[in-house]
This record gives sequence, C-alpha cells and structure tokens, in this order.
Amino acid sequence: MSDRTTPPDADRPANRDETRIIPVVSGSRDLLATEILELILTDSVLDQADAPDSGVAPRRLTTRASTQDRVFEWISRGAGTLVLTIMSLVGLFLLIQGNQALSVAGFDFFTTEAWDPNSGNFGIAAVLAGTILIALTAIVLAVPLAVATALYISEYAPRAIRQVLTSIVDLMAAVPSVVYGLWGMFLLEPNILGVSQWISTYFGWIPAFAVTGFDPNDPLASPTVFTASTFIAGIVVALMVAPIATSIMREAFTQAPIGEREAALALGATKWGMIRSVVLPFGRGGMIGGTMLGLGRALGETIAVYLIISPVFAVQPHILEKGSNSISALIALRYNEASPFEISALMAAGLALFVMTLFVNFGASIIIAKSRSGASSD
Amino acid sequence: MPPMPTTVLDVVSPTRVPVNPELPGPEQRRSTGGLRRHDVFALLGSVLAAVGLASWLQNQLFAFQGVLAFIIVAHALFMLFYAVLIGLTESAPVVVDKLVTTLVHSLGFVMLLALAAVVTFTFGRGWEALAHVNFFTQDMSNAGPLDPLTAGGVLHGMAGTLIMISIALAISVPLGITTAVFLSEFPGRYAAVVRTVVEAMTALPSIVAGLFIYATIILGLGIERSGFAASCAVTVMMLPIIIRSADVVLRLVPGNLKEAAFALGSSRWRTVWTVTLPTARSGLTTAVVLGTARGIGETSPVLLTAGLTTFLNLNPFSGPMVSLPLATFAFVKSPEPSMIARGFGSAAVLMLVVLVLFWLARVIGGRGPGQLTPRQNRRITENSRALNYRYLAKDVSIQRASRALSAEGKSRRSAVQRTKGKPS
Amino acid sequence: MIRTPQRGAWRRRVLGILLVTAVLGGLAGSPQPSAVAVGAAHYPIAGVGSSWSANALQQWIRNVWDNYKWKVTYDDSGSSAGRQQFGQQNGGKDFAVSEIPYALKDSDIVDPRPARQFAYMPIVAGGTALMYNLVIGGKKVTNLRLSGDVLAKIFTGAITRWDDAAIAADNPKLALPAVPIIPVVRSDGSGTTAQFTSWMFKEHPAVWQAYCAKLGKSNCGITSNYPMLTGSPFIARSGSNSVAAYVAQTHAQGSITYVEYSYALNARFPVAKILNSAGFYNEPTASNVAVALMGATINEDTASPDYLTQQLEGVYRNADARSYPLSSYSYMIVPTALEYGFTEDKGLTLADFTNYFLCEGQQQAEVLGYSPLPINLVQAGLNQVKKIPGGDPTGKDIAQCNNPTFSPDGSNKLAATAPQPQACDKIGLDQCATGTGGSKDTATAVSTAGGATAAAGTNAVTGSAATGANATDTAAAADASGAAAGGVDAIGGESTLAATVVAGIPVQLAANPAVTLSGIATVLASTLALVMILAPPFISRSRRLVGVRGPRRGPRGGRKRSSVPKIHLPLWRRPRSPDSPVTDGS
Repeated sequence: MSDRTTPPDADRPANRDETRIIPVVSGSRDLLATEILELILTDSVLDQADAPDSGVAPRRLTTRASTQDRVFEWISRGAGTLVLTIMSLVGLFLLIQGNQALSVAGFDFFTTEAWDPNSGNFGIAAVLAGTILIALTAIVLAVPLAVATALYISEYAPRAIRQVLTSIVDLMAAVPSVVYGLWGMFLLEPNILGVSQWISTYFGWIPAFAVTGFDPNDPLASPTVFTASTFIAGIVVALMVAPIATSIMREAFTQAPIGEREAALALGATKWGMIRSVVLPFGRGGMIGGTMLGLGRALGETIAVYLIISPVFAVQPHILEKGSNSISALIALRYNEASPFEISALMAAGLALFVMTLFVNFGASIIIAKSRSGASSD
Repeated sequence: MPPMPTTVLDVVSPTRVPVNPELPGPEQRRSTGGLRRHDVFALLGSVLAAVGLASWLQNQLFAFQGVLAFIIVAHALFMLFYAVLIGLTESAPVVVDKLVTTLVHSLGFVMLLALAAVVTFTFGRGWEALAHVNFFTQDMSNAGPLDPLTAGGVLHGMAGTLIMISIALAISVPLGITTAVFLSEFPGRYAAVVRTVVEAMTALPSIVAGLFIYATIILGLGIERSGFAASCAVTVMMLPIIIRSADVVLRLVPGNLKEAAFALGSSRWRTVWTVTLPTARSGLTTAVVLGTARGIGETSPVLLTAGLTTFLNLNPFSGPMVSLPLATFAFVKSPEPSMIARGFGSAAVLMLVVLVLFWLARVIGGRGPGQLTPRQNRRITENSRALNYRYLAKDVSIQRASRALSAEGKSRRSAVQRTKGKPS
Repeated sequence: MIRTPQRGAWRRRVLGILLVTAVLGGLAGSPQPSAVAVGAAHYPIAGVGSSWSANALQQWIRNVWDNYKWKVTYDDSGSSAGRQQFGQQNGGKDFAVSEIPYALKDSDIVDPRPARQFAYMPIVAGGTALMYNLVIGGKKVTNLRLSGDVLAKIFTGAITRWDDAAIAADNPKLALPAVPIIPVVRSDGSGTTAQFTSWMFKEHPAVWQAYCAKLGKSNCGITSNYPMLTGSPFIARSGSNSVAAYVAQTHAQGSITYVEYSYALNARFPVAKILNSAGFYNEPTASNVAVALMGATINEDTASPDYLTQQLEGVYRNADARSYPLSSYSYMIVPTALEYGFTEDKGLTLADFTNYFLCEGQQQAEVLGYSPLPINLVQAGLNQVKKIPGGDPTGKDIAQCNNPTFSPDGSNKLAATAPQPQACDKIGLDQCATGTGGSKDTATAVSTAGGATAAAGTNAVTGSAATGANATDTAAAADASGAAAGGVDAIGGESTLAATVVAGIPVQLAANPAVTLSGIATVLASTLALVMILAPPFISRSRRLVGVRGPRRGPRGGRKRSSVPKIHLPLWRRPRSPDSPVTDGS
C-alpha cells in the first residue's frame, strides 16, 4: 500500500473505480481465483487507475493469452470434448439399441412391472424402484460409515498408522465385486438373518421394515423369507461404495487449512467443535462429491447384486423381505440367454438408468456449485 | 516464517526467556492433553455396564437374538452410559465431543472389521491354492477340474490384469486429468455439460460398458476379442471415476495460491503446471487409485470383450486374455472344490497385486504439498546451513560492530527494541 | 483375416489352391460336400457356450493340450451366447456348445439359424438332479423320492408344504415335517432351466400351462429364464454354484433346487430319486442317465436342418427300470464349411478334439459328474466329425473308440452291465434307507409309518432323532411288518405324523418367547431406578452451575448457524496489554 506511486486522489473517477474493485476481490469468497482474474482483466477501467500521469493516454491491458496458454486451453478443451464424445457415444449406443424396445412399449415401458419382452409385456417400473431402493439402502449405510472413517483417518488416528489406514481403504475399494458378492452370499446372509428378523419383529410397524408372510410367533416359519433381500444387497453395496466415498472425503478433510484448525483449538474449541466449525464446512464439497460418486457406483453395481438378489418383477417396498431387482443385475442376468429384442429392452433399461443418474447428478452439481470448498481458504 | 532472519537475529541478539520476578517460583507445567484416571474409569465402567445390561436383556428378557443385534444394543447402551458418566463432571460440549469421538472410532472400527472379514474370507477360502508355489508360476493349461492344486495357477490372470490395467491407465490418466483440469480451469456452460454427462456415467453398469465396446470395437471395427478391447471397456469404466474424483480434489486447491501465481505474472498453463497440479498431487493420486480400483476389479466387461482362456497370453492385441477377477468368476462357478479354492486364491492374488500397485502409487504421488521426502529435507537443511554460513561470514563485521556497541550500554539497544515491538 | 503359422505358409498356399479346385469341382457337379484337404498343422481353436458342459470341456481341453499340444480355448458364457457368437462374422468362434438347438420349436424366444453352415454333435450327457435340504427331527433326510407329477407341482407352487399328501405317498417311510417348501430356481438365463422346463413342458403340460396362466404369460414354452410368481416362496439365484450353496445353508431347510449332479455331490447333499416309467425311483447316476439316453430318438433325417437334434420323449418315458427320466445331453455346434475364418488347420484340431472326447474323453465323464454317451449317440457324433473340413478321416470309427459304454466290437456294454435298482426303490409302501447324491454314506432312518398308531409314530420320530447308525437296521426290519400290515391309506398315516411333529413344537416355543408384559415392566422399573440414582447429582450440579457461573445457555446465537466459521477474532477486539511486549529483560 505504502509503495503506491500515485497517491489516491478523490477527484479522479479512477479512484472510485478502484474502490469498486477491491470489495469484489476481498469480499466475495465464493468466486474462483480465475474468475476474479477474469473480472479484473476484462475490467478496462483498471488501466485508467494505474495510469501514472493524467496527461498521458491510459495504457490498455490486453488479455491475449500466450501461445503456451492457447495450446493448453486447446488441449484441455480437446480432452473434454473427447471424453464427452465417448460418454455421449455410450448414451447414443444405448439409445440406438434400446430404440426398438422403446418404440414397441412406448410409455408403458416406465409403468409396467413385468419383464417378459418376448411376449411384449415388459417395463422397468419394478426394476427401477428396486435399483433406487438398493442404492438408497447402500447410501444410508455407507455415508455415515464413510464420514466417520474419513474423520477417523484424518483427525483421530495416530499419525503413524494414517498411511496404513489409507492404503487399507484403497485396497477395500479394489476388492473385485464378485468377491463382495460371494462374501455376502456365503458369510453375510446366514449371519444377518437374525438381525433382519429382529428389525422386522420390533420395527415392523415402519412400512419399509414390514415383512409379509412371516409370523414371528410361528416356530416353523422359514427364515428364508429374509434371504436375498434389498437389505442384504444394500449392505454389500454399502461396503463397496464406502471406501470410494471415504477416500474422497478424507482427501477433502486433510486439506482443511491448518491455520483455521489451530485457531479454533486455540479459542477453546473441543476437537469435535473444531471439526464441526472448520473441517466439515471446508470438506462439504468433498462430502457431496464422495456421496454422489458412491451413489453412482451403487446404482450401477452389477455382479454383487446379481449374486445376492432373488429378482422379482413387482415393486417390493419391504427392504427386509426376499426379492428385489436392479437394472444392472437384470442386464447381467438376462443378457446371456436373451433374444435380440430382449437385448434391446435391456439396453432401454440401461438408458433409463443413465438418464436418471443424469438428473440426480445434475441436481447434485447445483448443490456442489454453491459450496465451493477450498476456494475460500486463507 | 523463513528461517533466515531468525538466524541473523540469533547472531545479533539472542532471545532470552522473560522472567517475571513477581512469581513465587518456576511455573507449574500444565498438562493440556493426556488421559485422566476419570476418563478411563468412565469408559471401562460404561462398557461393563452396557455389556452387562445387554446380556441381561438378551438372556433374561429375550428382547433380541443374535450376535449382531447384541453388539448394536450394547453399543447404544454404552453411548448412553458413557454420556451420563461424563456428564456428571463435564460440560455439554465435552460430552458431545466424547460421544462423537466414540462414534467415529466405532464406525471406523466397523469399516475395518468389514474389510478384515472380506479379506479373511477370501484368504481363508483360497489358502489351499495359495499354499502352492505353482499357483503363482503356472497358467491353467495343464490343470483341469480333476487335477489337484499342485498343478496349474493364475499366472495368466496376473499377466492379463497387469497388461489390461496398464493400457487402461495409459489412456485414462492423461485424458482424465486433462479433462478434470479443463473442468476446473475453464468453467462455463460447456464444462458444465461435460461435467454432468461424466458424472452420470459413474453409474454406468459395467456390463453396459462391455456391451458398448463389444458392439463398437469387436463387431463394428472387427478387432478380435483381446486384452486391448478389454482395456478399452475398462477405460470407459475408469474415466468417469478419475475425472470426478480429480475434479473434486482440484477444487480444493486454495484460491490464494493460484492468485499468487497469477499476480506474479505466471501464465495460466504455468500456474496449472507448477501450482495447481503439485498442490493437488496426493488428491490426484487418490483419483487414479480409485479409478484403478474400479477398473482392476471388473468382471463382466472383460468377459464380454476379452473372452476366457486357460492359456498365458502376453499379446494384448491378439487372442483372449484373462484378468484375475474374471478368473475368480470363472473358477467359482465350477462344482469342484479345488477350482473354487483356485477362484478365491486368484481373488487373494488380486488383492496382493493391488496392494503393491497402490503402495507404489502412494510412494510416487502420495505426498501432499509441503511434505517432503527425507532426501529433500536433507537437501533443504544443507542449503539453509550453507546460506547461514554465508550470512555469518557476511555479518562478521556487523557482529563486531554490535559488540562494540554493546560496550556503549544496554539502555540504547533496549530502547530500539521497544520501538520496534510496538504495533505499527 | 486368416492368420497362418509362418512355417506352414507355403504349404497352406498349395492347400488353398487345392481347395479352390475342390470347391470349383464341387460346383461343377460333385454333390459330395465333405472337405478334400486335410489340415497341415493343429491350429488353435476357440469355442464358446454352455456352462453346463464346462466342467467336462475344461478337463478335455487340458488333456489334449497336455498330451498332444492341441490348443483349444473355451468360454463358458452360456448356451445362447454360444449360439449367437457362433453365427457372428467378426469375432466368430470355431465351435459352440449348447443345450438347445437353433430355432427350437416350443421355445419362448425367437432364435434364428445363422447363415453359417453347421452340424450338431452330441458332446456330453447328464441328468438334472434335484438337490434338497430337508431335516426331520434334527437329522438330514437323504432318501427322498418324488414322482414326476409331484416334482412338477412343487416347482409350480401347487404343493407348498413338505407334509403334503402327495409327497407322503411317494415316501411311505418318512414322517415329513410341516415346513414350507422353498423351491430354488436359477435367476439367470441357463441351459439347465431350459432342460428342466422342457421336461415339464413335454411331460406335465397341464401343470406347467396352469402355472404359466397364473403368471399371465401368453407364451409358455421351453424357457431359459424360470418364470416366478410374485409373492411366492420361490428363491432365485444366479448360477449353479449359487443355487447349490443356497440349498446347502443350514437356514434353508425345506429348500429344493434343480442343478447338475456334480454340484450336489460336491456340496455333500442328497438328491431326490425320481420315478421312471418302469415304476422305480432312481437317482441321476452316470449309468442311469446313459441307460435313459439309449431311448433318445434322434432326428435321423439328414436333409432336415435339425438333423441329430434330440427328441427326449423317449428318454423321459424310457421303460428300462434303470433309467433316470430327467436326462439329456448337450450339443456341440461344429462348422461344416470353410467360412467365417474357419480353416483346414482349425478343422484338423477340431476334428481330432471331437474324436478324442467322443471316445477316450467319455472315460472321465462319470468322475466329472456327467454320464458317458451311449453307443447310438457316439455313432451319430462320429458321422458328424467327418463333415468338418480339414479333419483327418483315417482311423476314426466306432471300432477304435475307447468309450466306456460299449466294447470295440460294437456291443452295448452299458446295457448289459448297468446295475439294476434295488427292490426297495420300487413304487409301493417300501422305501430304501440308503443315502443319495453327495450324502451316499448317510442313511436315513425310515420310520414304520405305514401301519403305525400315533404312539408308534412318535417313537419313530424321536428314534430317528436320537439313535444312530443302528436305526437303519431296526427300521429295515420294521419295513416288512409295515408293508405286511399295509392297508392303511397314506392320508391317515400322514395326518398322525403331522400331529407327531406338531407335538414337538411347544419345546421350541418355550425357548423362544416374545417380550412379555413382565419383561416390559422390568425394563420400566430398572429405568426408573436409574433415573432416581442419576437425577439428584444432575439437579444439584445444574443448581450449582447457575449459582456460580450464571446461566450456561448464554448467547449461542440461537439455532442460526452461519456459513463462515466464527473463529476469527477481529483485530480490534484482541486483548491488548498495557505493557509493551517483553524484551530481553533485566
């Protein structure tokens, strides 16, 4: 401030302009640095402010990028376009393949609960509902687990074992889904039946936990009614998505600025107080991002769900009861022995999943854009 | 605060610890952390009470059955008792803090327990196969369903996995990170479209990715089923994950760092290359690790695009190639117990391969900004020491002058210090 | 794109010229379609198809590689995938394996024949086993018998409990419990389902069509995807290993599934004996299946596109006492022309490979859980091998074939040596106690249910639970008296037995009560006690705090939470001490 060559002069309009600029820079913390830069650079009044002498014509600042920058922008845009092309091709592929079935079924495709494409009676109402239920169960279980584990690794764990824990979580993300499926089938299912039964007995008044056809007072009632349920598939999928969400969240939490953490602690905050006021607000973007990534994986999970569920083609809102369905599992189950028309119907189902995820992510991206963590740190 | 001025100050005027003569003696050292006896007792007491009450509820009242239900109930009771015990002496924020700490620890423990269960399950079922050396050195060409575990192995799967993931990473890492940089550096309507489509693709069922590659590359372009085709399918799976995770971590780069770079006159490309990417390095590693994790464990796209074989194939452009998860999937379908053991064995081998790969990834790219390797630390210390000597040599005259000055009296110097210490 | 090994390039060019000549000659007038040239070297071949046959194929592929270095690759994606990929120009396979032929009539899906020329060839036979998990009085049942009608009704939801009269009629010596039947079916499309539904469609059309009508399906033919009724007790699992594993779980009592015999053997679980036309209950052993398949009528019309496809009515109704009704075999689909990238060199490998598995390979069929092909199918298969272009025709006939089911002179060894069923397996009031499938060594203590009173029935049930191996002997001894007593209808016996089982229930009930009123009262009382202990210190503490420090709930800013963490103190509020900062003292 002190080494400014031109002393501020109240009479000159340039000074007013400068005072207009400064609050923009210091006040709005939600803008990215690049956006601010653009604002500054495109604001032509700035060069007037910097004019050393009122007699000389104002110097113009140009925003012409260097060759290096132009090449960089060209390459980045090219990469973005290439990715967009690939991904759109996948969508287009689904649309072309699914078109045949969609044109036959029309709007009934979204309301029919049966799946019998060879006799023309098919739709994804039940399958889509099952997909959403499994994904929701998984996310409800996985997000608290992921937040807690990420907090544990970034805040509570002894420094010496943090790296080990990080590697373990990464490893967990890489366990093949077929192993998770087999684990769920052989180990989890027999052991979780008691819990399912307990929940349905005492919380059966909540509609989602009700189980039809099971009388807890009948000793001969078969516990098989609790097998192959949305709940079990949801647990397994939760274990698959939790590591991914954990990794992203941990990455965001560890980036929380040390200065603010220390300030909070110095002001007498407890550890949780510090986390709540510094780490969590800072990592909100990472938390949403990790959750959405996990949700994506949960919606698209194939083999593990394929191994566990017992597919039904009716909306099954009772998550503890046997019978569920998911679009990706349906494709995997039916693809091998399907007629060309059924394959078209399966692709249409895949397209529906894709469009649904598009909307969910669109909503999430609006939320995430409003909480830009990181950009406002100092 | 750079260390240099401190060194100079050390030479000129060594810092003294202030002594307040009014205090009766040396100040008592206060313990700011550590464990008090009360904490331990509260913790142990509530654990005992919770386990006791839960087992009473289970054994006498039959309120619930099963080990898992017992653990859940006992944990809830423990939280309750612990809150009450802490609440007897502490204020509300401390109680909340303690409860959250317990919750975070127990949920983290659940996560580790789940992993331990999965890993133990896999290694336990696959141990029979893993115990034989030939499992790592042979392919399955000389072992059928009737052969004992002393013949055959998953060398072909290991080679296939490594080849496929290498090709997939070679395509997806540059493309993915460049796209993520594009999303964060050139925001706008177009970037928003790219971002939304990419994010929607994270939910792409893996089998659809396989079918896409099968329809376009194998049926459309006429390339035979091969490791390369499978790599393409795996790339389609990995790209959205890498882009999405990299996008999240690139947003975490502090804006003031970038602003500083711009203010120093750096171009956009220089800023990205020297500030943004190095700062987000560990996060980008996480992104690549997550993408690899997704890609390396895929089964169905590989089955559709690479086929299934029992022979070792090192050429990714010709002939079917097997990856480890696909081998697992194929093995466990068999009725023979030896084949099932091989299936879990190959899953275990995959975990080991992944562990090594991720360890390498973290070693190469895992350090955050400012975290240095021991060698870098040593070099910096040496540099600063050398600088220190240079300054020492330069300042010998100053030191002499200050000694001469000290003879004049301390009052003058302290006056100078006082004026310096005042807030400006 | 025809890839050739380097060393044989020149030779192959000559062969190519020869082939062109041959084809031209063929076009000119010769009706003989068989290939003229013999492949020069064994070029690697690749196949795709049935997972049902995969176990055998994998073993044979290993054997030919180990002994002769013929490289065969097989991908067990499924029958339909095999048929479909065989017909594709790009990435087409050299052979496919399938349980059902192309364009099967009565199938629920349209499956057109490919443009490629091909022939069917039997590859391996096997029976569809009915693996089950049934426990009476804590002891695993290993000798269940089912007639075809009952089986069809079980898998269409018409019979829902194990103590159904129809099942009891099949099992006169078993005191069947009143547990629900859990039919476990395949959730993925599979050839096993196709074989099973084919049997139901052909043999029990009324039951099957009634089930289909209940599902609201218009087209009820042979299907690869087992249809399930919403809300039924059916469980669907993907893959043979999954259904077998599901049934093998301890909680899955009362479940039954259709699966390959080898899975039941390896899971150490019993399989149901199925009633054949001769009135005997048999299990799907290798010889029983092979005997049944001797009744397979094959489409012998060489001009028909379905030449050599199976017509299994003769198998399902085979009158031989040793036959197992649910027997079938899978086909290999082999190319008969040099197209779609198929060459003579590949033909040589394929022809030699098929010769191997039709003859020597069948020796291992039984160990692998299948059944060796009987002579009629081998003979038909060997005729098809000759159509593969590039194959070496010398020394490939039935005389050189080292197949376990027949002698080199062509006599049917199997028909002579296959063991006859036990007398107790005959339909009637007797029932064998010996175990089946994977629990051959575990006999089931059969009860004297036939002519028993209620008291005797109780004894039988407790006896089967408590006593060990000698129970079989006593039961067997009691068989005679039971049979002699006779005359008591199955329904009556069944009802007394049901009563017996129900009589055991209160024991389980007593060990498993729900939360009672007294329980709730206890919890309430203890909560009250806890509150009384804990409340006073809390109240006093809060009083003290109010007195000493004033109200603790001070200005917290209400519920409003600002987005920016309030941790920065503004500069002007920083406490400023009157002294100057500390200097170096003294």
